[in-house]
Amino acid sequence: MIRTILLTVALALFSAQIFGQEKKAPPLTLKSIEGKTVRLSDYRGKVVLINFWATWCPPCGAEIPDLIRLQKEYGKEGLQIIGITYPPEELARVREFTRDLRVNYPVALGTRETREGFSSDQTLPLTVIIDREGTIRGAIAGILLPEEFNEQIKPLLQPQQIEGEKKDVQKSN
Amino acid sequence: MYRRVTNFALTCAMVLALGAVTAFAATKTTTIRITGLKCGNCSSSVAKVLKATAGVESAEVNSEKGEAVITYDDEKVTEAKLREVINSTGFKVAE
Repeated sequence: MIRTILLTVALALFSAQIFGQEKKAPPLTLKSIEGKTVRLSDYRGKVVLINFWATWCPPCGAEIPDLIRLQKEYGKEGLQIIGITYPPEELARVREFTRDLRVNYPVALGTRETREGFSSDQTLPLTVIIDREGTIRGAIAGILLPEEFNEQIKPLLQPQQIEGEKKDVQKSN
Repeated sequence: MYRRVTNFALTCAMVLALGAVTAFAATKTTTIRITGLKCGNCSSSVAKVLKATAGVESAEVNSEKGEAVITYDDEKVTEAKLREVINSTGFKVAE
């Protein structure tokens, strides 16, 4: 009996993975370049963009000013960008790079394993989209284009879904 | 009647031929050399940004050769603009 239940649960989990449904973001705890602890779970309730980048990757550097602007513009709406570097990186170089660009979101040094937990895509930069419930909604390979932000990220920032659901509940009461 | 049909067919053929010539005249292919394209994992951004540019029909980037082959409508985008777009990706067009 227990075997059957376990098998059913395993099959359900396996099929969920196969069909790409509801992939929860793995737990992530890193030290930021400022020495603070960056925990993904601390941002639950926000739309998180994990931007994997490297100082030696020209498009990554080219993209950062746009990410700074997006953080500034949509931070109040619940957007939180986290920059995680891809090796090889030196802390001093990353600090200098982010200071020069005036990066306004947390940045931490990552490993290959850090990224593999979120995506198997090897492209840099790579931006993983995590919704307010902590579910990975996709990854954008290469420089984040304005139309990609508008189509894939902006809708997640809309509060209408929750408000709409609340209104529906109120009506039914 | 036969003459009318022939004239109409000829006119249509001429219009179509003219349209085709105009269309081909607007499409150009250029090869732009890019410096620093050694990072294979990063170079896909160049093709991505080029393809998102209005007027670009196709863009292939070869990181080994260090070049981008772009087919574009020269009535909608200029080669100078394409160079600008490549430079905006952090890589640099070789002069």
